[in-house]
Amino acid sequence: MLETVAQAVINGLLIGGIYALVSIGVTLIFGVVKIVNFAQGEFVMIGMYISYFLATYFGVDPIVSLLVSMPVLFVMGVLIQHFLIRRVLGPNDMPQIFLTFALSLLLLNLALLLFTANYRTVHTFYSDEAFHFGGLYVPEAKLIAFVVAMGLSGALWAFLRTTDLGKAMRAAAQNRDVATLMGINPNRVFCVAFGAALALAGAAGSLLMPFYSAYPFVGQVFVLMAFVAVVLGTLGNVLGALVASLMMGVAESLGIQFVGADSGLIVVFAMLLLTLAFKPQGLGGGRMR
Amino acid sequence: MADIGKWKWLALAVLALVLLALPQVVKSSFALDIFIRILLFSFIGVAWNLMGGYAKQLSLGHAAYFGLGAYTSTIMQIDFNISPWIGMVAGGIVAALASLPIGWLCFRLRGPYFTIATIATAQALMLIFLKFRDFAWGAEGTTIPNLGSAPLMLQFETKASYYYVVLGLLALGLFITWRIERSWMGYYLVAIGEDEDAAEAVGVNAPRIKRDIYMISAFLTALAGTFYVQYIYFIDPATAFSFSISIEAALVSIVGGIGTLWGPVIGTVVLETTSTLLQSWLGSSTGGIQLTVYSLILMAIILWRPTGLMGLFNEAWQRHLHRKPVRMRTSP
Repeated sequence: MLETVAQAVINGLLIGGIYALVSIGVTLIFGVVKIVNFAQGEFVMIGMYISYFLATYFGVDPIVSLLVSMPVLFVMGVLIQHFLIRRVLGPNDMPQIFLTFALSLLLLNLALLLFTANYRTVHTFYSDEAFHFGGLYVPEAKLIAFVVAMGLSGALWAFLRTTDLGKAMRAAAQNRDVATLMGINPNRVFCVAFGAALALAGAAGSLLMPFYSAYPFVGQVFVLMAFVAVVLGTLGNVLGALVASLMMGVAESLGIQFVGADSGLIVVFAMLLLTLAFKPQGLGGGRMR
Repeated sequence: MADIGKWKWLALAVLALVLLALPQVVKSSFALDIFIRILLFSFIGVAWNLMGGYAKQLSLGHAAYFGLGAYTSTIMQIDFNISPWIGMVAGGIVAALASLPIGWLCFRLRGPYFTIATIATAQALMLIFLKFRDFAWGAEGTTIPNLGSAPLMLQFETKASYYYVVLGLLALGLFITWRIERSWMGYYLVAIGEDEDAAEAVGVNAPRIKRDIYMISAFLTALAGTFYVQYIYFIDPATAFSFSISIEAALVSIVGGIGTLWGPVIGTVVLETTSTLLQSWLGSSTGGIQLTVYSLILMAIILWRPTGLMGLFNEAWQRHLHRKPVRMRTSP
């Protein structure tokens, strides 16, 4: 029994690392640019397809293809921010919500048109390997994904804390007008934030590829999880999103273990609804970091 | 102004006559099917627009009420042999009641996070109906018994009869919107949509108004759900709680003109016509093409004409009105 619980917690933490990359992206965009990117899941999907095609046609290992997917998505993010998002920033919610929502629909259906709805997998030499600790086992591919995800999250955190650009980003998140008065170019900061968020989503896609199938709708799974984690971890809070994502992963995994294989999503929705009912400000009590 | 008012009523009367006569002229069941879809999605859009358009509470979870309406009437019909006409109203009441707890949860969030919460509640309802097969047939769904011509059971032999039913629903939705638009509630809704805090500061009871309009919107959406499953003789969670219902409800309103009486109707006509043309050119086998085009239209509208096609017409009309006196002055 205890072993089953421990195994479920391990599985949950490992996948929670991937959720964290997606959630941190969502919360970074929300914190800095003040919009919710409904299309974040589709960028995970694009990252997966990049890794899939690189692995299938050029034999590049999915983890190595991180070096391609992250820059490609960073550039995509900068372009999307500069040419699309910038035009709808304002007090009105409607254009912001439905622009990123339309982007999500567009990317999803383009993928459906170009790549069909088939599931695509990449098999690496470590896909079936696992470390054993007593009765517990840790799949290698998931462990690599988790470690890299945590490393990237840490790198982003350090970037926000220590570099001038990171500080400018946090300043713009706290008060856009004052930041502009201090000589910070908001559009440049927004472009970097959007690009960084998309690069993280792309990284999540590449890291998933050795043990997960790519298909056009794959992003929806991750984006729902990320939205819940971002509410739970207090909107705009990077550390909160990270912790909440790991919790979501564990909750989902326990749900699958003890309620039923198809109940993972029910657990997630239950968590969202409970959060809204009792802690609408998130567990952090509403502070943005 | 009085003149324009008179013309409006005349245009409305002509439109009503044309719509009433249409099934007498057009007999093709393919064409009638398209008309029924247009009227149905216009009606769903009108229901969505009451809350999403006027009060700017941008829900992407109206499939929840569509599905509740569909399931209520179907369960009543199959298990208790109660006419779907009664089931339709019952479904509306169930949906309106369900909007109370759902609204209580979702209205804690504003803006985009309200939207996400509504998506989650609709998805959660779908999962519940997938999981509990005892009272709702689970994932397989069920066919609705075909009774032939049974108008009292909301079943007809001709598509024309379905056409008139859904035309009646749309007329009801437009009438309710028109009345609300002109009432104190309409002004409160617009005030909330413009700036909720400011509206509350001047004494608008925003939580109550939002709750009330959500109930009305849910009630109407549920009627559409009952009609739809009676029309296709089939129900399952994926159909009744389909995310695409939620998307289309919002899409037609935004493309047509958010927060306007006729916006959802115009939006539906444009989108459904586009989709029909696409299907006849490319065949229905090309998955994804319809939503690809819809999303491009949506992006274009948001970037260049956020007031929708209604805004475009209004601008053209204003330009037309203002041009006249200028021309009179310049001509000798």
